[in-house]
Formats: sequence, C-alpha cells, structure tokens
Amino acid sequence: MLPATLPLLGMPLSGAGAGVADGAAGESVLPPAGLALLRWQWHEVEAPYLVAVWILVASLAKIVFHLSRKVTSVVPESCLLILLGLVLGGIVLAVAKKAEYQLEPGTFFLFLLPPIVLDSGYFMPSRLFFDNLGAILTYAVVGTLWNSFTTGAALWGIQQAGLMAPTVRAGLLDFLLFGSLISAVDPVAVLAVFEEVLYKVYNSFVEMGSVNVQAIDYVKGVASLFVVSLGGAAVGLVFAFLLALTTRFTKRVRIIEPLLVFLLAYAAYLTAEMASLSAILAVTMCGVGCKKYVEANISHKSRTAVKYTMKTLASCAETVIFMLLGISAVDSSKWAWDTGLVLGTLFFILLFRALGVVLQTWVLNQFRLVPLDKIDQVVMSYGGLRGAVAFALVILLDKTKVPAKDYFVATTIVVVFFTVIVQGLTIKPLVKWLKVKRSDHHKPTLNQELHEHTFDHILAAVEDVVGHHGYHYWRDRWEQFDKKYLSQLLMRRSAYRIRDQIWDVYYKLNIRDAISFVDQGGHVLSSSGLTLPSMPSRNSAAETSVTNLLRESGSGACLDLQVIDTVRSGKDREDAIMHHLLSGGLYKPRRRYKASCSRHFISEDAQARQDKEVFQQNMKRRLESFKSTKHNVCLSKSKLRLRKAGRKKDGSADKDTPNGKPHRASNLPDTAAVILAVESEEESDSSETEKEDDEGIVFVARATNEVFREHKVPGNGSMEVCPSPRIIPPSPTCAEKELPWKSGQGDLAVYVSSETTKIVPVDMQTGWNQSISSLESLASPPCAQAALRAAHPLACAPPRGDELRDPLAALVTPSPEPHAGFTFAPSLAKAGRSRSESSADAPEQQELQPLMAPEDRGCLSPGTANARWLIQFNRAGRL
Amino acid sequence: MGNKQTVFTPEQLDAYQDCTFFTRKEILRLFYRFQDLAPQLVPLDYTSNPGVKVPYEVISSMPELKDNPFRERIAQVFSQDGDGNMTLDDFLDMFSVMSEMAPRDLKAYYAFKIYDFNNDDYICPSDLEKTVTKLTRGELTPEEVGLVCEKVINEADVDNDGKLSLDDFQNMILHAPDFLSTFHIRI
Repeated sequence: MLPATLPLLGMPLSGAGAGVADGAAGESVLPPAGLALLRWQWHEVEAPYLVAVWILVASLAKIVFHLSRKVTSVVPESCLLILLGLVLGGIVLAVAKKAEYQLEPGTFFLFLLPPIVLDSGYFMPSRLFFDNLGAILTYAVVGTLWNSFTTGAALWGIQQAGLMAPTVRAGLLDFLLFGSLISAVDPVAVLAVFEEVLYKVYNSFVEMGSVNVQAIDYVKGVASLFVVSLGGAAVGLVFAFLLALTTRFTKRVRIIEPLLVFLLAYAAYLTAEMASLSAILAVTMCGVGCKKYVEANISHKSRTAVKYTMKTLASCAETVIFMLLGISAVDSSKWAWDTGLVLGTLFFILLFRALGVVLQTWVLNQFRLVPLDKIDQVVMSYGGLRGAVAFALVILLDKTKVPAKDYFVATTIVVVFFTVIVQGLTIKPLVKWLKVKRSDHHKPTLNQELHEHTFDHILAAVEDVVGHHGYHYWRDRWEQFDKKYLSQLLMRRSAYRIRDQIWDVYYKLNIRDAISFVDQGGHVLSSSGLTLPSMPSRNSAAETSVTNLLRESGSGACLDLQVIDTVRSGKDREDAIMHHLLSGGLYKPRRRYKASCSRHFISEDAQARQDKEVFQQNMKRRLESFKSTKHNVCLSKSKLRLRKAGRKKDGSADKDTPNGKPHRASNLPDTAAVILAVESEEESDSSETEKEDDEGIVFVARATNEVFREHKVPGNGSMEVCPSPRIIPPSPTCAEKELPWKSGQGDLAVYVSSETTKIVPVDMQTGWNQSISSLESLASPPCAQAALRAAHPLACAPPRGDELRDPLAALVTPSPEPHAGFTFAPSLAKAGRSRSESSADAPEQQELQPLMAPEDRGCLSPGTANARWLIQFNRAGRL
Repeated sequence: MGNKQTVFTPEQLDAYQDCTFFTRKEILRLFYRFQDLAPQLVPLDYTSNPGVKVPYEVISSMPELKDNPFRERIAQVFSQDGDGNMTLDDFLDMFSVMSEMAPRDLKAYYAFKIYDFNNDDYICPSDLEKTVTKLTRGELTPEEVGLVCEKVINEADVDNDGKLSLDDFQNMILHAPDFLSTFHIRI
C-alpha cells in the first residue's frame, strides 16, 4: 500500500534504519564477528509498520478533531481529514520532493472499500430498505444512468462548442465514461452500487476503443449491466447463505464467530471482484442477507464484537481514505487543469442531479403511498456527495486508452473536494433550515413492533381478499417461506425459538430501560434524587430490567459493565457507606471474578469454577457468621448497621429510630406511592431504606400472601413490627445471615424461572444456567425450591432447614449450623407474619412480575424484596 | 365487464360513491372481486337484491388466507353481523377504510376495533394476549405473552387504567408518524 521510503514520519528513523540495516546485511553476508546485541531491521517491518502508522495518525487526527465539539459540529469530519491529508501531502512533497503515499486504486478497492460497504450493508435497516426497495432501485439505476449520460453528453457538448482547451482529447465515449464515474455518490450510500457497474461497462467499451464498438456490443453492454449487478447480488446472497449456515454450527467455538462474518463477507467481495461482477453489490447483499440469521446464531458477545469491529474497520478505512485523498491531491504530476472542464463538470453534475431527482421523484410519487415532498427532493439533489469511489475509479483509468485522463483526474479531485467540503459544510445548515425531520431516533416501542406485525397481517389478508397481489402479499409469502424453510435451515433451534421478534423487542426494551436507568440514577433504586421514568407504571419494567441487567453482569456476560462502572465512579456518599457496610468481603470474590470476566473470552468451565469458588467463600463467611450469631457475637455489629441505616434514612425521610422500625414504617409511603401511581420522592426514599436495612427486607421476604391478608391495616403493622426485632434480638442478624441463603434461593427462583432464561439470550443463558446450576447445587437440592414455592412460610420452614443444612453438609464444615437454621427459620416466619406492611410489597410485586415466573407468585414477595436486596447487594459488592 | 351498467342502478352507485372513498370504476372492480369470492351466491345483477352475504367460510377457505392469523378478526370487524359474513356493503367498507383517501382517524378506529376482540371499546390485556398469540403463532409461552402484553399496555396507557382506550391508541399511533401511513392498500 505505501511505498517503501519513509520521508515524513521516519526521516531520521529511516536514515538510521537504512544504515543499520545495511550494516546488518553486510554483517550477515560476512560471517558475523559476534552475536549482534541489537539489530535494526526496518525493511522487514516496513510495509505493515507504515500501514499501522498511517492508521494511527488518522486516528489521532480524529481524536484531535473531536477534542473541540464546536469544530466537528460545524465541519464534517471528512473535510477535516481531507485538509489534514492536504497538509500532510504538502509536507511529504516538500520533504521528499516527490509525492508519496497516494491513494492506490488497488489498495482502495481491495482493502479500504469492503469494510465500508459491509458496514453499510450489514447495518442497513432491512425492513426500511425493502419497503423502499422500489425507490432505491429507481434512484440507483435510473438515476445513475441519467446522471452519467446527461453529464457525459453535456460535457461532450461543451467540448464540441470549443469551451475546453484543445488539449483535452476525448471523444463522446470518454466523456460518458467520465460521466459514469463522476456521478458516483458517497461510497457509504447504497446508491453507489450502480456506478461501479456502469463504470465497468463503459470502461470495457473504452478499452475496446470506440472504433471497434459494434451495435451488438451496445446490446451486450446493456446486458452486462444486468449480469454484473445481478451476478454481484447473487454472489453476495450465496455467501450470505453460507455464512448463515456456518454460524449455525459454531456453538462450541464462539470465538471464531466474528471472524467468520468478516471472512465470508470479504470472500464474497473478492469472489465478485474476481468474476468482474459488482463486488460492492455482493458485499452489500451479503451483509443485508446474512444479518438476520447470523445475529440470531452468534452469541451475544460475538454480536458485540462484530458490531464494534465492523464499525472500527469502516471508520478506519474511511479516515484513511479521506486522508489519502487529500495527500493524493497534492501530486501535481498526475493531473492537468482545464477550467472549462472543471466548471462545466461542477455545473452539470449539480444541475443534472437536481433535475434527475425531481423527475424521478415525480414519477415515483405517482406510485408511492407516502410521497416524497419538496424538502426531501432538495436534500436529495444536494446530497450527492462524490467521494473516494470516483477518485479511485478515475485513477484506475488507463492512460493509453483515455488520453484525457489527467484532465479527468484533476476535475474529479476538484469535484470531490467541492462536494465534500462545500456541500458537506453547507448541508447541515441547509437541512436545519429546511427543518427536515431527521430520522428521529424514537426508540422502537413494543407497541410499534406489535402493531407493525399486526398491520402486515391485516394488509396481507385484505390484499388476499381483494385478490390483489401487492407488496404485502409478497412479503407475507416471503415471511412464510422464511419461517418454514430458511430459518429452519439457517438458524439453530434454540436461536430460532428465541428469535421471535416481539419477544426480542421486549427483551431489548428491558435492557435499554435498565441501562438508561443505571445511567440516570447511578444508584438504581436507592439514591433519593433518582428520577424514575415519568410514568409510574414503568417503574416495574425499569426495576425488573435492572435486575435483568444486574443478572447479566453477574453472569459476566454483560458487556456494558463499563457503563455501569463509569456511572458508579461518581458514587455518592451513600454508596460509600453502603460499600463499607458490605465490605465484609462478602462479595469481594465476586468482584475479582468480574474483573476477569471483562477480559473477554473466558471459558465456560472457568466461569463455573469461579462461581463455585465464590460461592464456597460466601458459604464460609455465612458459616462463620452463623456461628457468631449463635453466640450473639454479631449482634452489636448488626445494631450498628441498623443505626447507620437509620441515620441515613432520617436525612431523607424524617423518621429516626435506631432500630429496624422506621425503615419498615417507611414502607408505607411506598405503598401509597405505588398504589396511587404517583411518582414521589418518598418512593425512592422508601426503596432506599428498604435496601439499606437488609433485615427489614428479610422479613418481607419470608412473608407470604396469607400473611398479607391477615394484616390489612398498614399502620397496625408498623406498630407491631417494632417489638419483633426486639423480642428476638438475633433475628435481624440471623436474618441478615440468612440472606445469602435467601438470595441463593429466593433469587434463584427468580433466576431460574423459565421467564428469565428466556429473557437472556441463548449464549448468556447457557452461561447463566451453568453458574446457576452450580450455585443451585450448592445452595439447595433442586426440589427445595419447588417445595418452598408450594408451601407457605411455616410449612416451608423445615424444607428451608434442609436446604440450609444441605449445602453446609455438602460443602463446608457441617457441625452446628443446621440447628441455627432450624431455630431461626420459624422466628423469621413469625416476624414475617407480624410485618403486615409487607403487604406494601404486594402491588409492587405485581409490577415486578415481568421478571418472575408466574408460578413463583406464591413466594413472590420474598422474591421481590430479595430481588431488590440483591440489586443493592450486588452493586455494593461491585463498588 | 360488458354488463357493467346493469349491475347497479345509478342511484346505488351514487350512494356507494358517497359512502366510500371510491370512484365508480373502483366500486365496480371491487364488486367483481366480491362476486368472484362466491360466484354461485352473488348475482351479477345487484339492482334488486343487495342483501346477499358471503359466508365467512368462503373467505376463510381462501388458500391465500390459510396462514393469516387475522382473517377471522378482519371479517368479523368489517361485517355488520359480527360473524364474518360479508355483504357487498361490508366489503366496500373494508377497502374504503384501507384506501388512501380515508382519514387517519378512521383507520385508527378500525385498527383499534380489530384489536378489540371482546368489543368492549377497550383493548384490555386479554385482547392483547389474543393478538400476541396470533402474531407469534403460539411460539411464546403464556407467561411470555403476558409479559409482552403488560409492557405494551404500560407503554401506551396514558390514563393508567390498565387497558387501552381509543384515545390511548390514537395517541400512541400518532406518535409514530409513518405508522398509519402504511395502513393502505391500493386497489
């Protein structure tokens, strides 16, 4: 790609390098006197080194540009890059006395273009694309034909009129060729596809020489237009199929999934190029075609990897292209100036594009349901940005066949610069001025998805009834075919099951809510300043989704860990306190575990092992605390905690009693808030307190519906609550000690519930299930959960005891702990019953249901409380 | 097409034109289509007996509609008797609603009616569950369907009554501008 010398960046380096390399070479010829301690081998690494350096320079330049938001908001990045390229090119020229590092067409087409095209193809909103396929094809095919013909012919006209210097020796065919390449729009646009095709056809004409072109050749040319484009598309689809099929079987080698995507897409590009078909079209179709299946097949991590790598590559390529474009423009040896040609070209491309757009739009609007209005047309006429494709194509011209190449090169450079700089600079203000409704990024709501599908079906049905086979009919047909055959063939079963779009959207929404929630509040449920999403009814979704999120991050599968971490870096005082509270080391192992998880690929085995480790450590801690609980050692500590929590709370919700009472009482406003569906600060307050005093939550956790029914009056409940902790002093402590059990179980119920497993993508699911199962096997015999679900608290106390004993017996030192479990469990149940305002959780419980499996409803209230508690706990553990 | 004039009386045609968004030509075309549905039932001369119904079985047995989950619902909504048996009036109504000339509110109203399975003027969770089940062709478990429905209602339920009124529905639909614009069929 880059020539061998290194005048700019490595001037001193290369000089020294050459010297040393020479020395080394000399040495290697002669028998070396001794072992060289250091050898300078510049030439061996030169080419890749230069590539790397260029990309680095481009990236650094990007960083610099974006340091100032003001500049990039006004000037498009491509302008800046081209200008930078100009400057660099000038320096190179000044230093080396000859132009270096220019945009080589080969490099461009083989390495720089594919990532850009793949990126635009892969991330093309396929539904929009196919809905507007007609318009897109029209603009691409007819528009390109129109532009190239008219521009070429008009230029030929002004040449004939004698407005160009006589040195521009070019026939009509040459001008048509030039017209075809100059009508290329921005390479990122899909519309660029057709230029390439047309160019190829013209080029073959020109290479034959205009004299030899027979009438039959024109027919062939038209035919080859279709062969080239359709052939390219076919190649792309074949590779898309292969790609989808391959990714179906990568279950055990997840790591190569992203690689496969890129390799096969690139192979499609090269294959089409080899067969002189439209490579751009091939890779675009490959991206469009494979996306649905590949996305369903590959793991979540791979998906992210693909996304980022693709974006990185595309942005990299784009950056380098624009920079090299600037550099190439400096080389005056390559081009020859002709004012008439340049001005004529500029004028005609603008004129004819506008004309073409208006004409085509007029025709299209006769058929379109949603007509394109004037503003759209203006933007479309103006938006014809010529980019690197045109330049690479013009460089590719054969000087012997096209004598006017130098003039064309100069004109192309001017046109590219004009469109990129002038139009690029002005299009933003223009768009703003015209008040174009930019693609407003309204999030896909579930409603939208649902109604879209319904409408599709309805429309298809109505079309069927009327016997009119329109677009909806064919789409319906295709979807059925896809469902019956293609998806079956190309997707793994599990993915196929998961793939249902509505569910997919639901899942995505949940995740998004969670992320925005975390972003907004930092501290999800506890910070009192947290503004929950405006609609109270959304609380549930948000909360559940937060649990979701945390669950994922807990399993190490959440790649958005970064987000959470950065948010938390601004943690408030409460967080700090919470941290100290929970820094008993309980979740430290978990943090370590997480850190290693963020190193991307960790084998599932290791994950499971780590989970086990974590759990065992937790167990040990539990055990110790149980012991100490028994001897009331831990009591003072727990009281201290309570007091802390109380103090914190009285800052927010004027209730201060040093023990657990106020916190529970403060559940009342919570109830009110939820029931009245009024978003109030108290809501968050109460949730805060709920989380802060674990004990209170534990009581809630043990309560069941029956308990709620017994005590309907909330005030009553709060009165009753206070004695319970006092009467049984160890109970908060023990409850707290018990929590991990609970979390290992109440939450497990949440985790393991069928819902959850469905919400989590397959790959994550497996990982999660593994970790869960490891946890589960440690925490409880599988039946314990079911038993717990079925039975009400008192009845389930014995199983709980079993459960307690089981892991202990199985895992760690067995001796007196089971008794602890037995003794405390009933008391807990009692306490739970006395806590009537735990009914406060009942409405919430309903709202939280999305996360819980319906069959869990019996013990949902524990689940609810626990889920919250766990959120808190997890977060704190991660601090 | 030869006996075009004898199908309807001019008064009938005028009435149809007034009641729908169609021209005479389109009305006639739709009539022939209607006649095609059940040639033995629908007479070609419509001047005297305009009350002929095409039973639902005929519509539902159309091969194209075999896989469509909403065929029954559409027929029910647009038929006057609510059982899916369609008269010519119903038939014309249906396409009139789908035509480009029909105002958005009308479209929204009929879309709403299609969702409202139990005809209580609200889209309640049970209605949505039916819709989702139909849409997903039973691939989701009942719990999942429940979750989705809950979310859908949460999203659009402005007055927070746990079900979607027509206002909620229109409000939601108007928020997505290019939404009803797709609810068209060109005859």
